[in-house]
Amino acid sequence: MWAVTGMFQKNSPDAFSSYHPVILFLYFCVVLFFTMFFLHPVLLAISFCSVFLYSVQLNGRKAIRFNIFCMLPVTVIVSLINPLFSHAGVTILFYLNENPVTLESIAFGIVSGGAFITVIIAFSCFNKILTSDKLMYLFGRLIPVLSLMFSMTLRFVPRYKAQIKKIANAQLCIGMDASHGNLLQRVKNGIQILSILITWALENAIETADSMKARGFGLKGRTSFSVFSWKRRDKTLLATEAALLFALLLGLGLGKFESVYFPAIRIAWPEGKSAAFYLAYALFCLLPIIVNRRENIVWNKLKSPD
Amino acid sequence: MQRKFDKRLILSSVLILIAIPLTIAFGVVFLHDRKYYFISIAILIYTMLPFLLVFEQRGPRAREIILVCSLSAIAVIGRAAFFMLPHFKPVAAIVIISAVCLGPESGFLVGALSGFVSNFFYGQGPWTPWQMFSFGIIGFWAGVLHRKGILKLRKLDLCVFGGLSTFLIYGGLMNFDSVLMFSSTINKDLLLAAYLSGIPFDLVHAASTVLFLFFIEEPMIEKITRIRVKYGLINESELLKDS
Repeated sequence: MWAVTGMFQKNSPDAFSSYHPVILFLYFCVVLFFTMFFLHPVLLAISFCSVFLYSVQLNGRKAIRFNIFCMLPVTVIVSLINPLFSHAGVTILFYLNENPVTLESIAFGIVSGGAFITVIIAFSCFNKILTSDKLMYLFGRLIPVLSLMFSMTLRFVPRYKAQIKKIANAQLCIGMDASHGNLLQRVKNGIQILSILITWALENAIETADSMKARGFGLKGRTSFSVFSWKRRDKTLLATEAALLFALLLGLGLGKFESVYFPAIRIAWPEGKSAAFYLAYALFCLLPIIVNRRENIVWNKLKSPD
Repeated sequence: MQRKFDKRLILSSVLILIAIPLTIAFGVVFLHDRKYYFISIAILIYTMLPFLLVFEQRGPRAREIILVCSLSAIAVIGRAAFFMLPHFKPVAAIVIISAVCLGPESGFLVGALSGFVSNFFYGQGPWTPWQMFSFGIIGFWAGVLHRKGILKLRKLDLCVFGGLSTFLIYGGLMNFDSVLMFSSTINKDLLLAAYLSGIPFDLVHAASTVLFLFFIEEPMIEKITRIRVKYGLINESELLKDS
């Protein structure tokens, strides 16, 4: 595994995440969009396999365990809920307490359960790849004040946690720490610590604000620093993404991804030429895995034989 | 000031007159059984935009901004502190307190920000926009009702508003989200089942909001007011005049 991590900065979990944030964001937007809103069994199978593989690549064995033990029961329950409450559909299989159970609602339950698990796994990759600094960069120019607020809130959280420790230590010196006295006393002391934190936090907020103002916050002509730049490999990958996305939108426009469950199931299966659109989707979903694999091969080639 | 107001009006009308119909058309034509889910998420995000962009347009006013950030961070920390008790979170309580102290728009932002940021610690998901909106709109209503003089700064008023809004607004929206996620249509049985099964969780959440408001309402409002008096952030209408 060290061979993979050797190639890029230590803080990126894999080769794909070292690409430009725009590329990563576009990838997740497209995959989530097609998974959440389409419920096409073939598309769903493709995206499920891809994000499953990718999450295993990112999180190792932990991901496999999580996906199987936590997600499988949820998916089964979700698949069962729909046929119990939705009686739409024309193919009645049997009656349960005088309510018809239809083939269509069972099929819909299974695909929506599958979509749910896929979205959860995709978001677990999203959390790992699109870290807050990348999101901040993406939206920083579009909505500068809001992204500043977002990043400051994010930074305040660990800062306040550290401050709580300091306050608790100071209170410990005068015997007013949350581990002293009976239960009531402890709760009182705990609340006292929080109260001190809030006073400090608000006072500190104003000081931070004044200090920012003194340094020219909000004046015109200020630039912002970013560590992300467009390299040639980024442009190539973005062009690939754009081309595949164009194919996907074309397929969408031509109705190649149609999947209707109610009143009767009507699904456009990949056959003949339309299989190309599904291939495009598979390629798109597998991009991170392809990129990581390629990076691995290149790195192993470049390594001097010793 | 007039020009800025117009900009916001233009954005809202563009969203309502153009973006929402286009989204509905797209959903109906291309997404068949998933249309309700897609259209609802999209409209939710459009609705949040004008609220969020208020701060963008007022221009960067450091003190107000940082105050909102630090209140959101306190809400996030509070949620983290009680993570072992599911659905027992102080976020709504802190959002309501911020809203009555700083006004409806800041209240919305404290709610939306704490929903968004706390999910960086708990995991983002398709529920994030719903949580952001739910907490945000609780803050917005708390601020509006307080400004209209209906929600007074009394323990009883705040606790009643906190309990009801958490149960009805937050619970109502989040249960609706779970219906949309797993079902193609919305029918009475399904809604009833989702809301009934959600009641215990929503009750715990509402009770926690009432409990937190009961204990922290007074000291926290006092602290925020003290900061505002000390640093001359007396009230919002005055702030707007000098901007």
